[in-house]
Amino acid sequence: MNKNVAEIIDALAAHQDHASIEVLEELGTNSPDNEVREYTSRALVRKNVHDSLKIVIINQGKGINDLSPSVAMSTINEILSLKDKSEVIKILDDTINMHSDEGVKENARSVKSLLALS
Amino acid sequence: MANINKVGFNLGQKIANPFKTSRNSTTNPFKYSNFEGNTLQFEYADVFEGSKHSANNSKLKMITSSVAGSMTKLRSSITEPIVNFVNRVREGISSAWDYAKNTNVSDLAGIKTINKVMNADILDIGKGIGNSISGMGKGIAEKMAFLNTDVTDIGKGLSTKWNSLISKVHANKINKDTTVAELKAMWEAEIAASEAKEVA
Repeated sequence: MNKNVAEIIDALAAHQDHASIEVLEELGTNSPDNEVREYTSRALVRKNVHDSLKIVIINQGKGINDLSPSVAMSTINEILSLKDKSEVIKILDDTINMHSDEGVKENARSVKSLLALS
Repeated sequence: MANINKVGFNLGQKIANPFKTSRNSTTNPFKYSNFEGNTLQFEYADVFEGSKHSANNSKLKMITSSVAGSMTKLRSSITEPIVNFVNRVREGISSAWDYAKNTNVSDLAGIKTINKVMNADILDIGKGIGNSISGMGKGIAEKMAFLNTDVTDIGKGLSTKWNSLISKVHANKINKDTTVAELKAMWEAEIAASEAKEVA
């Protein structure tokens, strides 16, 4: 991955406004590069806000639902390493209860199980 | 000659020690003066042959007469052209003197042409040198002006590029103060550059 892109992602992760999350979702999670998607997902998890966590949990093909196992596992590890997991658990419960896609529900259920065991 | 050697050999034997008789018992010191009868005869000495004197004299006379005749012929063949030569030189000098005395230098044949050519050439050479020097001066001045312009342009270009490089470095410096819009623009530029590399 390009060093400049990594610095840009880090700078966007440090921003608190909603525009930074939109940029990360638009350019990072939709990148064809697995490394960029992985790095972007971890940055969104580190933000630990509702909008950023929602992107990597409920969207099919992004975050824990990414087709690349490395991207999904890196995102799960970043979620498990959060100090404050309250917002993540809330979103996982909503996804398990209300999401229409069974695959997304199954992944959310697995992550919640991992959080309970950690 | 063989006879002379023979006689000499005999003389050598007999006159080898002429004072020996005084020491010996022989009392007559002139005992060997008569060569014991072996007197030198005139017919053995070929250098005294009188019959060959007349031939040498005749040859000498012939050579002398031939040399004298050659000298006479040489003198007769040289004296006449020398006279003619001297006469011609004397006439030439006198005529040349008269010509030089009565003729102006400027009226000499070809001198006007030479003067024209020399004057024209010298003038042209002088004009050419002057033009060349002035042209060189103008050329140097023009080249110096171009050089100044070029140096100025180079300096301007360097300063512009340096400023753009500095601004680019400052622009590329990503930190928390960089706005989201700028970060998005930079990210899009990186994506475009990577896509251009892949296409190339």
